[in-house]
Amino acid sequence: MFELARYEARRRLRGALYLSVGLSLLAGMYIGTFPSIATDIDLDEFIEQMPDIFKELFNLATMNTIEGFLAAELYSIGWTLLLGLYVAYSAASLIAEDVDRERMDILLSLPISRARLLGEKFLALGVPIVVVNVVVPVVVFAGTAAIGYPIDPVNLAIVHALSIPYLLACGGIGIVLSVLVDRATIAQRGSLVLLFGLFLFESLTVVAGYDWLGSIAPMRYFNPTDVLVESSYDLLGGVVLLVGAIALVAASAVYFRRRDIE
Amino acid sequence: MGVIEVSDLSKHYGDVRAVDGISFTVDAGEVFGFLGPNGAGKTTTIRTLLGFLEPTDGSGTVLDADCTDEPAMIEAKRSIGYLPANPAFEESATGREILDLHGSIKGESRRAELLELFDPPLDRRVREYSSGNKQKLGIIQSFMHDPELVVMDEPTSGLDPLMQQRFNEFVREERDRGTTVFFSSHVLSEVRRVCDRVAILRNGKLVTTEKIESLLDRSGKFVHARIRGRVGADAFDGSAVHDLERVVVDDEDGDGAGRDEDTENRDSVTVTEVRFTYTGDVNDLLTSLANHDLLDLDIEEAPLEEVFMRFYGAEDGSTAEERGDADV
Repeated sequence: MFELARYEARRRLRGALYLSVGLSLLAGMYIGTFPSIATDIDLDEFIEQMPDIFKELFNLATMNTIEGFLAAELYSIGWTLLLGLYVAYSAASLIAEDVDRERMDILLSLPISRARLLGEKFLALGVPIVVVNVVVPVVVFAGTAAIGYPIDPVNLAIVHALSIPYLLACGGIGIVLSVLVDRATIAQRGSLVLLFGLFLFESLTVVAGYDWLGSIAPMRYFNPTDVLVESSYDLLGGVVLLVGAIALVAASAVYFRRRDIE
Repeated sequence: MGVIEVSDLSKHYGDVRAVDGISFTVDAGEVFGFLGPNGAGKTTTIRTLLGFLEPTDGSGTVLDADCTDEPAMIEAKRSIGYLPANPAFEESATGREILDLHGSIKGESRRAELLELFDPPLDRRVREYSSGNKQKLGIIQSFMHDPELVVMDEPTSGLDPLMQQRFNEFVREERDRGTTVFFSSHVLSEVRRVCDRVAILRNGKLVTTEKIESLLDRSGKFVHARIRGRVGADAFDGSAVHDLERVVVDDEDGDGAGRDEDTENRDSVTVTEVRFTYTGDVNDLLTSLANHDLLDLDIEEAPLEEVFMRFYGAEDGSTAEERGDADV
């Protein structure tokens, strides 16, 4: 059991480390600029001038504290959007790329079920998700402490923990496309378009006063600003995301089990 | 119960009947050839039997497992090796990583022994592999867990002639160990060298299933004779003579002229060349040949390509080409 997951996880380790280094550099860059911004400019005045849609998109509350600044710059963009897109894209490749490149025949000649194949491949996506969420908070905590604005470590740990079900849900969206579409590039691009569309849609519905419509978007259930600035944790949102991710993977497995491999 | 049993199996894509109601049985321990031109439905049949495609109609079992029953097929696949037509592996993985994965799931009791016969560069990434090396890696993964049945789709494509020969010897040795081998090909000489029985597929329909010897018997003899004098068009006829070609050559400088003792043709040096395929009793053939004054005579076993032609007819454009690359 889990031989395929182990194989795929090993193959994702290097990429996960590169991703962690990249996001750590991004975090370091934001942290490094904070002291000069905090003393020279009142960013909150700036925020007040912004259209509502931007405040909603980037979860802008305050930028004059390190928590609010990182929540807006690093977590809303880096985590909710960029990392979400990365995971969705990777998940969209899981099945479609093997089918597209005609590698699926040999994999399916192995004595394992299609559901297990899909599940183990998805499980291996946990490697980049977990590695990034272990490495980056350490860098963020050390960095903020070094500049004299230490961030609350509990809130920091919780925002990263809650991002895991969020990213799994993004992966769930990707893998649904991966089993529905044979052409890998279409599944991959489709997942990017879909996730970015959901990101915009979720904020638009709030601004337009139709909040309930945005509840189909995973971004609704993960709010880094609330965690970092207000210490308010949406644990139920985390559960919703996790259940959603499991449902999407299960639905993909059911469909993949029945379809022809062309 | 055969190792593979196919009964009225069909796979249609809309109006296209890729496989159309075929039935055959592969017995334990035989090398079974699945012959047909490209596009005949060989790959579709194989992929349906392995459970990658859902049959439109009919059924197939492999090692007693119904090909649509996933749990039964998973059990069967422990004892099945499969080599697809163009084996593809993850490009960024090394051959070793791929064999390790396969070994960890299905076993690798014969891996070391196979690596001595077929030796792909294991520590290089598959991206750098030639098609021959990918094929070798594919052959190793299909036999490494010591399967009872090995299914191969066009196994020698991409192998150089020396490797093809090694592969053919290997397949015969596998049969001697009791492994059942089912492989598809459009190369007739290959099938003839290693198969016990053949099924011939054309446009999704099974044309025939026979022992390779009876196919060769039915294919008959190739006769090429040079006969002194003029021979009538009706000299060789009857149901056993096929594709008769007759050419009369008036050869004035012919070397046969001086010794010509044939009373009818004393002053001429006419030679008739006849070629035909003969499928009857060889004694009758010799009797009818004895009525003529022969300058030269060749009788040889008709190449399997000829049999193929007879099943497929000449209207199939790809047939002529296959005669060419089957000629080794």
